[in-house]
Amino acid sequence: MRGYWWKFAGVLIFLYVLIGGMTIPTKAGIISVIPGNALSGESLNLMITGYNTHFTECTELRAWLKLDSVHVVKSKTIKKISERTAEFLFHIPSVFPGKDKVQPLTLIIDNEIDGVFVQPNAVFITVNDSIAPDSSDWLLGSLENLHEAKGTKFPFRNILNETIRNTFFHVALWFAMFVLLILGVYHAIQYLITREYDHDILSSSYHRIAIMYGIFGLITGSVWAKFTWNTFWTTDVKLNMTAVAMLIYLAYLVLRGSSSDYDRRAKISASYAIFAFLALIPLVFVIPRLTDSLHPGNGGNPALGGEDLDHTLRLFFYPSIIALILLGLWMSELLTRYERLKEKILLKNQ
Amino acid sequence: MNITKVKDIFLKELSIEFRQKFALAGIFLFASTVVFLIFKSFNNINPREWTILIWIIMLFAGLNAIVKSFLQEKKETYLYYYTLFDPLDLIIAKLLYNFVFLCFLFLIILGLMGLFTGFPVKDTGLFLTGAAFGLFGISIVFTFVSVISVSESGNSTLMSILALPLVLPILLLLLKITAVSIRLLTDTAIMEDVWMLVGVDSILLGAMLLLFPGLWRS
Repeated sequence: MRGYWWKFAGVLIFLYVLIGGMTIPTKAGIISVIPGNALSGESLNLMITGYNTHFTECTELRAWLKLDSVHVVKSKTIKKISERTAEFLFHIPSVFPGKDKVQPLTLIIDNEIDGVFVQPNAVFITVNDSIAPDSSDWLLGSLENLHEAKGTKFPFRNILNETIRNTFFHVALWFAMFVLLILGVYHAIQYLITREYDHDILSSSYHRIAIMYGIFGLITGSVWAKFTWNTFWTTDVKLNMTAVAMLIYLAYLVLRGSSSDYDRRAKISASYAIFAFLALIPLVFVIPRLTDSLHPGNGGNPALGGEDLDHTLRLFFYPSIIALILLGLWMSELLTRYERLKEKILLKNQ
Repeated sequence: MNITKVKDIFLKELSIEFRQKFALAGIFLFASTVVFLIFKSFNNINPREWTILIWIIMLFAGLNAIVKSFLQEKKETYLYYYTLFDPLDLIIAKLLYNFVFLCFLFLIILGLMGLFTGFPVKDTGLFLTGAAFGLFGISIVFTFVSVISVSESGNSTLMSILALPLVLPILLLLLKITAVSIRLLTDTAIMEDVWMLVGVDSILLGAMLLLFPGLWRS
């Protein structure tokens, strides 16, 4: 039991990520706003469809249209239709600051259950040439008494919607893959130094599991891309460079399968593994940073930081990395033991 | 490293190459046949196709050419070399020879393509710089992989399986540099890609020089 605690830990943490990551709801959000444009100075009846919202259950439902940090309009009357849909009546002011002919307004909705949620550029206002300012003017000043959402919830992002949970699997798989690859390369170097066959077994087991993780990472990414970018495969650099990296590592498997002489195979595949890893660094870390990519965090800035990773996501993302690393170590240990047994039988039969 | 020895091995490779004229002629025949085939099937080739085709022809002609660089000699000869040379001298000479050979092959393919399909390159300096560094990278990968396939008792299928994925990053950079030099793309930061190519080359070169002595011992 004492030696196996990390295997149990891996399984338990992964179950925690699987259950928590799949069942916790996302925060409220806005799916559609109809109509999407209006004229200045008229009253606007906005039909809003929300996601995970509680319009009829809540008591304090408020909505604003916001131009900038000081220019805000509050909705006059609200007609609740269902939990998900409601109608908000606004009087759009006739005088707008700035000279732009068309100005975007941000919709902000707040209630005590869902907290505050926002749809940027919800309504585009075409500004009329008006002479006199009317009574329904801007509510100057910042918004106050906004609510926080109750309970632990994942952030709601447009386009991403519920697929934001894939962060725990897709991104974490790449982290775990790199840890396993580094271990594999470490044992390849150790093999070349010490010439102990055991290092070759370890190195090949880590590499095989890392390649499996890489393929899983590509599959989860591909499915994710279908739901966010609307295609299974894009011309995105990161995607294609990773595919190249996977091809290089699949060639490693071919190389290992091609020879029956154990010592020679060990030496060649160790050399190839080091060579492939060095070829991988510019491929995955340097080139995608220099070119445009659909992935978050390109153009030189790291992907994990700022608003991309909410603290509720962190609560599952980091454990997921740890769990996948532990499970990967366990799987490669099983492979290692299998290979060692095969070697033992081979020696016995001779 | 010993410069005179490197030179000796280099000259030896060259003389062997010229002694086996049929192999040399075979490669050039391959290149010209493919270029002619492309010319006949496309009739009117546009710059985008030109960019892709020249590197694909180069890749396969180069692969054919280098496969035999280590495979053409017998096992006993290698044993003899092993007693005679430092492994570092041998690999540097082989690498330089392969590089020069690939450059020569590239110029011939370029000439044939120019003859049949025109020469759309606008920024010749950028094109040739990129091509030189790219060919150097390709020759490093091919040399390294041919060493591996020689220790696998001269398996030339293995060579193409291992070499093609490894040259892909270099080839992608090369395609981008070529596209910019033909003005298919505009990129003010194209020098960054050239430097990246230099970086990839030096990483691969370092790895090969470190790993070769160990592989060579078998």
